[in-house]
Amino acid sequence: MRQRALYFLLFVIVLVPTACGQGDQNGLKILTVGLEANPTHLDPRFSLDVASARVTQLVFNGLLRKDRRSQIVPDLALRWEHPEPTIYVFHLRQDVQFHNGQPFTSADVAYTFRSILDSTLGSPKLGSYQVIQEIETPDPQTVVFHLKEPFAPFLAQMVAPIVPHQAGKEIAHFREHPIGTGPFQFEDFRSDERVELSAYAEYHEGRPKLDRVVYRIIPDGTVRRLELERGGLDLVVNALLPESLKRLATRPHLKIERAPGTNFTYLGFNLQDPILSRPKVRLAFAHAIDRAAIIQHVLKGLARPARSLLAETHWAHAGDVATYPYDPDRARQLLDEAGLQDPDGPGPEPRFRLVFKTSQNEVRRQVAEVIQAQLQQLGVEVQIRSFEWGTFFSDIRSGNFQIFALTWVGVLDPDIYHYIFHSSSVPPSGANRGRYLNPEMDRLLEEGRRLLDLQARKGIYDQVQQILAQDLPYLSLWHSTHVAVMRKEVQGFELYPDESMRTLKDVDLLPGPTTSSSPIDPLANPLCQGCEPLSRPS
Amino acid sequence: MRRFLLRRLGLLVLVVLGIVTIVFLIIHLIPGDPIEVMLGETALPADREALRHALGLDRPVLEQYGRYLSGLLQGDLGNSIHTRRPVAALLAERIPATLELTFASLLIALVIAIPAGVLAAARARSWFDRSSMLGALLGVSIPNFWLGPMLIVLFSLQLGWLPASGRSGISHLILPAVTLGTALAAILTRMTRASLLEVLPKDFVQTARAKGLREVWVLMRHALRNALIPIITLTGLQCGALLSGAIITETIFAWPGVGRLILQAIATRDYPLVQGCVLVFALGYVGVNLVADLLYAWSDPRVRYN
Repeated sequence: MRQRALYFLLFVIVLVPTACGQGDQNGLKILTVGLEANPTHLDPRFSLDVASARVTQLVFNGLLRKDRRSQIVPDLALRWEHPEPTIYVFHLRQDVQFHNGQPFTSADVAYTFRSILDSTLGSPKLGSYQVIQEIETPDPQTVVFHLKEPFAPFLAQMVAPIVPHQAGKEIAHFREHPIGTGPFQFEDFRSDERVELSAYAEYHEGRPKLDRVVYRIIPDGTVRRLELERGGLDLVVNALLPESLKRLATRPHLKIERAPGTNFTYLGFNLQDPILSRPKVRLAFAHAIDRAAIIQHVLKGLARPARSLLAETHWAHAGDVATYPYDPDRARQLLDEAGLQDPDGPGPEPRFRLVFKTSQNEVRRQVAEVIQAQLQQLGVEVQIRSFEWGTFFSDIRSGNFQIFALTWVGVLDPDIYHYIFHSSSVPPSGANRGRYLNPEMDRLLEEGRRLLDLQARKGIYDQVQQILAQDLPYLSLWHSTHVAVMRKEVQGFELYPDESMRTLKDVDLLPGPTTSSSPIDPLANPLCQGCEPLSRPS
Repeated sequence: MRRFLLRRLGLLVLVVLGIVTIVFLIIHLIPGDPIEVMLGETALPADREALRHALGLDRPVLEQYGRYLSGLLQGDLGNSIHTRRPVAALLAERIPATLELTFASLLIALVIAIPAGVLAAARARSWFDRSSMLGALLGVSIPNFWLGPMLIVLFSLQLGWLPASGRSGISHLILPAVTLGTALAAILTRMTRASLLEVLPKDFVQTARAKGLREVWVLMRHALRNALIPIITLTGLQCGALLSGAIITETIFAWPGVGRLILQAIATRDYPLVQGCVLVFALGYVGVNLVADLLYAWSDPRVRYN
């Protein structure tokens, strides 16, 4: 009998604590956020992935930052001057300290960018800052950047997180234990398990309302959904399968918020392919793909059809570009005109065969299957080949593909067009993966990055978007809608267009009736805080 | 015995060397470039080449292999290309989690399979036999990626008894261990039953019964011990399946083991880390089978190693 009682006690000790959720524990306000992947680097000079950014956005600040409407506003810089086309002068805040108590000065800014530019460090961001010729620090509160040539996207690049100048020497294990100036300080990282951050009491904009933020790394989408349902997670942003939202919407303790995002999904063509190099074939595909149906049925409405890479909220978005309504009859006609007649009409023999390469992402594969079915109606046989990411991306970079679908995330400056469509950007030096070569496009893109006047740049990028909509090296598919699912106690969370988690600085956990945080009005005219709006390629 | 052990250890070295060589060649043959993954698409060609040179990836594959092997012989598994941390340190963080999960699964499988198999054999064609064989068929047929979420829905979401994911105590271990151990339990149940059914009609079992021993004693001490060799062999072989199954189970339950590490290493083409993970799996597999060989003598004194 005593033995049984002992076993029961053991059972209770082992199991009962596990039934507890997160939230307010021991009087502490702890927010548990689900991450779909392990952060690869906690030192922001090395990280390129979304999971790492979610952490570093809370631990670090940049000289500038993007606000809720993706406008560039001051962060660690109080203000900046632009005395010459190649000189930028930043005046820094004096009330900022790193988490180790060291004051933030211009030496930290200079160290950050010099270390990135030092090829022995191996930072993947080196290429983005090659335009910097020299960095001066005339005093602790001033930093001067000299550029090699006028470079319009430069300000957008100044959102890069600033690390302390001791990171290279005095601060041991900086890469494993990062120290920044952000609203939360790093506490612990257990790889593939969790990252723990605590509120930084001396944060220059005031202490965050939350005491801790815990990122839990849960790679399986179904399990993330189940953890949200059972209370093991308080918040998940853009990391749930579209079909799970219907079920989550019925859970009384959860709320769902949506906001227009800027992530751009497209169909890429290999323009060196003998079939896809024919403009009428690409035009036929533009008419043959029913984007509305894919958005409704596969993405469950969580996207909106795209006209160009830049979302409609972007200052350089061109509204008057060519669009192609779903019209399979017109598509068939175009293929006939391109000399690709269907040999046996409605018979089994296709006009031609194509290979559609995709990653193993589940939604991506579903999209490929729908496009396959839609092109089948034209008499085009599409074989879907799904690859592990490394192999897939390697094939795309090397031009070993016919069509593929991918997404650009975090688009900020229209200079991204240079990176994607300039003839010098054919891999390995850029992302012109479809090998689009157009001298007029090259000229416009070179001019676009040299011009500093916003209106003049807009004129250039209007032309760029019009040409691309005609030439169709990419077929614009959609811009995604951001989705955050959270416990109703989570108050003040805002979905930024770039998915930034900086908003956690203002989040609170409040029991009782909830007031949903207001979604962003994408069409509202933003108030720019004394700065010119810019964006950044990512 | 000592000679046998030495011979097997020598073979173990050869097998591991073979596996390391094959994996080294395969990982270098498949498409994908670690430099591309690390530097992204914005890097200039000169910077790519500089980093490639710094990491020694511009050397011929055979030279890289020679360097790796030379380091390996000195106990140096190299540094992760992606995180720059020593592979040994990364593995040391993950191996306990994988061992914990594998041993717990093995334990669950044995605790279920041996009694169920013995009872099914002792009561052949009874309702228990039929239902346990049906259960075994189901167990071997249900894939981990389905069973895991179902267990989470039942025990975590509906009943609230167990955590759904993560690694923080015994309670977190139960669901992944059951998920991983179910298929092994099913296979071992069938094997135990089949093996016992072969042994039970033998003369020494009848003699034990004729001596008036209790049936439980006859089954466990005489019959089962003589039926153990195929069960031990199968358990050893299935441990390999447990290790590979751990990759899926670790992903479902967010269990931070070597399985998830190798997935990330392959995705980023982190060659030294892939090699290190494969080495751990290979050593685990070969080691478990060596233990299985040694257990033969324990279960059957007639077995001689010379």
